[in-house]
Amino acid sequence: MSVTAPPPRSPYGRLMTGVLRGTIKLDVVINRIYPSDFNPLYYTGGLANLFLFVLVVSGIFLFFYYEASLIGAFASVQYLTERVPYGGIVRGIHRYAADGFIVAVLLHVFRNWFTDRYLFARDNPWISGMFLLVFGGFVGFTGYQLVWDERAQALTAMFLAMLRTLPGGAWLARVFIGGSGISDATIVRALYLHIGPASALYILLWWHYTRLRHPKIWPPAVWVLFCVGLVFLLAGVIPALSGRPATPAAQPTAFPLDIFFLWPFWLMNWLGAAGIVVLLGVLTAAGFAIPYLGWRERPQEMDVRHAGVAQVIDGNCTGCELCYYDCPYNAIVMVPSPAPGFSRAAANRTLLAVVVESRCVECGICIGACPFEALELPKFLERDVRARVLEAVQA
Amino acid sequence: MNDPKVVGFVCDWSVALAPLLDGTRLRELPSVRVIPVPCSGFVRPDWLEDALTRGADGVFVLGCPYGDCLNREGNYLMRDRVDQLRRRLQRRRIDPARIHDRTAFLAEVRAFLDRLRALAAAAPKAPTKMPAPAAAEGEAR
Repeated sequence: MSVTAPPPRSPYGRLMTGVLRGTIKLDVVINRIYPSDFNPLYYTGGLANLFLFVLVVSGIFLFFYYEASLIGAFASVQYLTERVPYGGIVRGIHRYAADGFIVAVLLHVFRNWFTDRYLFARDNPWISGMFLLVFGGFVGFTGYQLVWDERAQALTAMFLAMLRTLPGGAWLARVFIGGSGISDATIVRALYLHIGPASALYILLWWHYTRLRHPKIWPPAVWVLFCVGLVFLLAGVIPALSGRPATPAAQPTAFPLDIFFLWPFWLMNWLGAAGIVVLLGVLTAAGFAIPYLGWRERPQEMDVRHAGVAQVIDGNCTGCELCYYDCPYNAIVMVPSPAPGFSRAAANRTLLAVVVESRCVECGICIGACPFEALELPKFLERDVRARVLEAVQA
Repeated sequence: MNDPKVVGFVCDWSVALAPLLDGTRLRELPSVRVIPVPCSGFVRPDWLEDALTRGADGVFVLGCPYGDCLNREGNYLMRDRVDQLRRRLQRRRIDPARIHDRTAFLAEVRAFLDRLRALAAAAPKAPTKMPAPAAAEGEAR
C-alpha cells in the first residue's frame, strides 16, 4: 500500500475520471449555495421516490374517473379534465410528476455511475435500479396510451411495429392489444400495464433498499415543498390536455412529444422500428453490464480502496454489535456464539459477528466501529496503519 | 512551535492525493503526513489517540462532504466517533482541539495548522503530559 503515482489509466478510465471530476465540481458549486446536507444532487433517489409518491396519490384519484373502453376512455379523461373540480390540475400533476420522476431517476443513475457507486457488492442495488428504470419508462409509455387520443393511437401502432420485429412478435402483439385488432381489450390491457408495473415498482424498491441500513428515501423538507410546488405550478400554467380523439379512420402522422418518455418514438423517424428495438436492447444490456464491465479503474489501481472484504477475528469478537449497527450495507449479522473467544473481553460473549461477504463493499467502517480489534480488511491490516502512524510521528 | 507535526487520515475516495503528495508528506505543507484510508469511517479512534500520545501535535480525518459519503454513512459515523473521542480525551486532559475532522482540504489543513500554533502559544506546557488524576477529575465533567 504505497502512496505513489497511480499507473496509467485506460482511455475509458480517463474519460470516466474526467466525468467524475465534472460531477464533483458541480457538487462543489451547489455546496457553496446550500449546506452539503441539502444538496439536491445528494438526494436524487429520495426525489424520485417523492415523485413516485405524488404519482401514486394523483393516479388513484384519476383511476376513479377512468373508464377502460374504446368509447369511454377519451370521454372519461375529457370529463375529468373539464368537469371534475380540480380534475385538470390533478391530471397535470400526474403528468409533470412523471416527468420529474424520470428526470430524478436519470440523475440518480448517472450520478451513481459517474461517482463509482456500482462497485463491489453495490451491483445489487444497481441491477434493481435498472429494473426500476425500465419499468418506470414502460409505465410512462402506457400512461400516454390510456388517454386514447390520436397520439395514443399512433404510439400503439408504433409499439406494435416494434414488437413485430422481435421473434414471436405476432404473438407478443396479440398479447399486448388483447386480440388481433384494437378493441376494448386493448384499453383494459393498457390500464393493467400502467398500474401493474407501477405497483411492481414498490417491490423493486424493496429490493433496491433491502441492503441499505438507513436508506435516504425522502429528500429534505425544503426540497419536498419545492418539487411539489413546482409540479403544482406546471400543472396550473401548462395544463395537460388530450389531442383529437382516436378514431379507426385516423392516421395521425404527428403528435406533441414528451421528450422524457417518448424519445424512442421520436428517434423512430430515422432508425425504424427494428432500429429502436436494437437501440433499446443495447442500452438496457449496457446499463445492466456497468457494474461488471464498466469499472473506471482497474483493481490494481485502487490500492487501499480495494482492500478486500472485511474479516472477523473470531478470538477477539465480544459480540457487542457495534459493527452491526454501523455497517451501512447490512453486511454484518450477529449469530449466537458457537464458542467463547480467546481475549478476556470475548470470553463471555453470547453473540458473534459474521460478515456476509456478498454484501461487503470493502469500506472498513466496521473496523472504525470496533474497539476490540476484531475486524480487519485483509489487504490493509491494523498493524499496517499503526506502522504508518509510527513512521509519521517519528519522522 | 513553527511546524506542528500533523498526521492526517484521508479518505482515498474524497481527494485525488497523488498530485498533492511528496512521498507521504503534503508537498505544500511538509510537516503534514498523510495516510490514505478506504473510507473516513475506517479510522479507529484509537489510532488518532495513538498518534497524539506518540508525539503528533495534531491529527485530522478527512472524508467526502456530509451527505455524499461513497459508503453512505462513513463520514457521519466518523463525526460521532470523533466527538466521543474528544470527550474521552478531555477527561484525560489531552486538548481535543488537536483533532480535526472536516471535509475541505489544503485550506482547511492550513487553518488547522494555524489553530495548532495558536494553541501552542496559549498553552506553553506540553499538552501531551498527563496531569495527576486528582487534578484531572475536577474539570472532566
